Amino acid sequence: MPALMRRGAVATAAALVTALAAACAPGGSSDKPADKAPAAVSTDVAGAGNVTLTVWDQEVQGGMKEQIETLNKRFEAKYPNVKINRVSRSFSDLQKTLRLALSGGNPPDVVEANQGYAAMAQFVKAGMLLPLDSYDQVYGWKKRFPKGLMDLNSVTDDGKLIGSGKLYGVSLNGEIVGLYYNKEKLAKLGIQPPKTWAEFEQALATAKNKGEVPVAFGNVEKLPAMQLYGLLQDGLTDKESVRKLVFGSGGSWSDGPNVQAAQRLSDWAKKGYLTKNANSIKWDDTPVNFAKGDGVFMFGGTWWAPDLNDRMKEKVGFMLPPASQAGAPVATMGGESLPWSITAKTKHPDVAAAYINFITSPEAMDVAVETGSLPVLPAPSKQPSAPLMKEVLTAWTELSKNDGTTPYIDYATPTFTDAFGGPLQELVAGKKSAEAVMKAAQDDYTAFQKKK
Amino acid sequence: MTTVARHKTARKRSEPADTRAAGRPGGRYGGRPPGEPRAIGWLYVLPALLVYGGFLLWPLIRGAQFSLYDWDGLGTAEWAGLSNYTSTWTDPALRGAFGHLLVLIVFYSVFPCCIAFVLVGAMSRTKIRGLVFFRTVLFLPQVIAMVAVAVAWRWVYSEDGPINTVLGWLHSAGLPDWRHGWLGDFTFALPAVGLVGTWVGIGLALVLFLAGVQKIPRELYEAARIDGAGAVREFLTVTLPALRRELAVALTLTTIMAIRNFDLIYMATEGGPGDATKVPAYEVYNRTFNTGEVGLGCAIGVTLAVLAFAVTAGIGRLVEGKDA
Amino acid sequence: MNPRGERIFNHALLAVFAVIAVFPMIGVVTQALKLPDDVDFSSFGTAWREGHFATYLRNSLIVTACTVVIAAILSIMAGYALGAMRFRGASALFLVFLAGLTIPTEAVVVPLYFDLRSMGLDNTYAGLILPQVAMSVAFGTFWMRAYFRSIPPSLLEAARIDGASSWTTLWRVLVPIGRPAILTMLLLTTMWTWNEFLLPLVIINSDEALRTAPLGLSFFQGTHKTDYSLLMAGALIIAAPIVIVYVFLQRQFIAGMLSGAIKE
Repeated sequence: MPALMRRGAVATAAALVTALAAACAPGGSSDKPADKAPAAVSTDVAGAGNVTLTVWDQEVQGGMKEQIETLNKRFEAKYPNVKINRVSRSFSDLQKTLRLALSGGNPPDVVEANQGYAAMAQFVKAGMLLPLDSYDQVYGWKKRFPKGLMDLNSVTDDGKLIGSGKLYGVSLNGEIVGLYYNKEKLAKLGIQPPKTWAEFEQALATAKNKGEVPVAFGNVEKLPAMQLYGLLQDGLTDKESVRKLVFGSGGSWSDGPNVQAAQRLSDWAKKGYLTKNANSIKWDDTPVNFAKGDGVFMFGGTWWAPDLNDRMKEKVGFMLPPASQAGAPVATMGGESLPWSITAKTKHPDVAAAYINFITSPEAMDVAVETGSLPVLPAPSKQPSAPLMKEVLTAWTELSKNDGTTPYIDYATPTFTDAFGGPLQELVAGKKSAEAVMKAAQDDYTAFQKKK
Repeated sequence: MTTVARHKTARKRSEPADTRAAGRPGGRYGGRPPGEPRAIGWLYVLPALLVYGGFLLWPLIRGAQFSLYDWDGLGTAEWAGLSNYTSTWTDPALRGAFGHLLVLIVFYSVFPCCIAFVLVGAMSRTKIRGLVFFRTVLFLPQVIAMVAVAVAWRWVYSEDGPINTVLGWLHSAGLPDWRHGWLGDFTFALPAVGLVGTWVGIGLALVLFLAGVQKIPRELYEAARIDGAGAVREFLTVTLPALRRELAVALTLTTIMAIRNFDLIYMATEGGPGDATKVPAYEVYNRTFNTGEVGLGCAIGVTLAVLAFAVTAGIGRLVEGKDA
Repeated sequence: MNPRGERIFNHALLAVFAVIAVFPMIGVVTQALKLPDDVDFSSFGTAWREGHFATYLRNSLIVTACTVVIAAILSIMAGYALGAMRFRGASALFLVFLAGLTIPTEAVVVPLYFDLRSMGLDNTYAGLILPQVAMSVAFGTFWMRAYFRSIPPSLLEAARIDGASSWTTLWRVLVPIGRPAILTMLLLTTMWTWNEFLLPLVIINSDEALRTAPLGLSFFQGTHKTDYSLLMAGALIIAAPIVIVYVFLQRQFIAGMLSGAIKE
């Protein structure tokens, strides 16, 4: 058999070479979808005939799921000729499949495409998303939303600069990464919710000494450590330099404060402040464990709040991360949830735009509050009732007032989750120094900037 | 009936061609019935060849072609020459992935074969009762979807899984605490994945070797015993040489399994923690669809195809010492 | 050790390894049924409903049946030509098929995705069936050729004297007596197609209603994380069809998988 196979290989190889010479280069043209003139936009959904709109979202958890289901139902009730085909999957499953689906022959009509250079910017560059500027002129989104939030969903045509260029999505929910704490445990330990990082460090030490898990943490996906790092970075440097760094207009990951942030994370891991074996615990299990009592504190996004509220009721509290000094304004990651975008190949762009307008309308903000989520804009007529949701809203309002949101770290490069998140896992496991981790991040960053 | 009649007329019409062919040294079995034109063989092969060529060979060619470009899978591609292939060595993450593959080959292939050999060596001196039963059970891991196997082993390795439970008992009995989050641990994740491969492979190797041993003439063993050979010498002089062919097959199949290790990694670790369990098969997918390096993904794929081929051709030669 | 002790020792050894081989499966069953505290089949119901396994099993069944039948017909024909006929280029053709035996899915899945997509075959049954027929045909042709070569020449001679054409000979004479070889081929291609994961993962990327069973389990794991009772139920559901067939026809399975590489 081996002899036969070798001869087969030679024959096959010869055929391969011949065919290769004849084949043409992969990849089609990267034509940009044309931007419709505002006058050509039709807002007449009812007159659009029978339309099925396929919508991909990542709202699989409790309140978020209820929120979008309610909105879809109301939209369908308003326009009986439109059927929403909702496809939902977890955030990480969506990240894995969206790229494939968007480039496929029959992509969905509306998708939640994550901001940043890893997702939205690449899709825009490849002409897979529809620019929404003319729809904006009709629906007036830019008048409803503050500029900072619109900028996060804007990219230049070539995908090289986030924050300028055309608008590619509108968000429904606000989100920030903050600090959850177990009120019962704090009371038992005799500590107050920490106002500064120094107080927080002390609280961690106390919790550790009393045999508690100070910080609930699960990090299989690598993203959680990047968020934790981002929070620490926000506490050690100013928000402007973080924004510049992530969006690629200055600074280096190996700058002093950025290394210090990694050092602090490393110290926490060494002192046993984080859940043991964090690298083998899934991100979405972290709030489940926290609710079970494994952890005094937990850093996490407001997207967990509805679920935690169900599980823990009045036992859980939420606050902005500690400040560098008492009373100083706080910055943290967040801004708005994944924006709703229209795919370039959709057959019903006008209906899709009307749908996006509907689910980001003032009415939708009310629905968000009712279902226990955080709306990106103040809800006109509803107030949250659950204590946790009130705290979330307070934190969000305070942060918006100070213009304190910084972008998520993983926006920085398309490969950052592996290139920085991987080394961060090693840092958490005590296998890599802060300097080495930040050097790895900077190397990937430099390579991407050069390619851009 | 009509079919037969139709064939009969056809035969008559092409009579001369048939006589011509009959004069030649016919096929090995003279398989070609009279009346069928020579090219009919091609007609029979054609449908299979079309599908095979179109959906396996052609993609392979396209893969080789893609591997020469720098392409994100979305926009236009740029010629990159062989740089994607050099990347498989210069990119530390990819070099690591190929290194992990070597480790996994030891776990998937060498371990099962060694263990199975020792077992069979011990057993070759007696007849096995209930062989069919043992064979069925031992071979079972081979037929279960790897996706399901991965789910089962994720539980085995989980925080509260059986391994940690037993280690917990040992700990409370005074031993050190050996519990770990196995699949999330930089030191243990790769061996943990490897052990799954060992588990799958042992049955295959055992079944192969048991079948081989049953074929060895009893007289050889009796002769060896009359010569006063102990178990070890008997194994070395009788069992081992007789099983060379089976060994080659077992090594080949299990090594190919190690090379095509996508399902388990995707389901159990996604290459983590860090890059600790990244393997080339996973990187084909990861680079192409997650990080948008399609050319590089294809280059890894082509490298894997070459590796698989070399292994199939090479092991047989090495173990059997000749071209089979 | 005396012979009797040796025999007991050997059987004990085999038993130990048999237990190791089924150990995770026992875990699967106990977790899915929540044993030993309880005998609870509710996990299966929940997994069945939430995992949409009815749909996914049906998809797997359709894809597997089509793949296996088409591949079997094509392989029998090609194997017949290459094994029992002599024609120009036959040996070169055989080598080309043989080379296909070692091509890993990983090497072709990326270009397959892009090319099927441009043909509009992504997210279709055809997009799953055609490539898997191609993979199965490489093995099938090789396997059937070996069978047709083993047929005594006298049999072909007799058919010819009876006036049967090559087509009639194949389907009326050779296929019926070749049932054991064909059965083995059917079983193996069934198993490979049913268990295939990478191809559906890439090809069925947006239409959830077309997911195959293994793909369904993967997304089920994505949503249920560490609810092992549900996950194990899901794993059992997708593995069961092949395992059941295997238990009844283990001889053919094992013979096929082991000799596939030995023959020639």
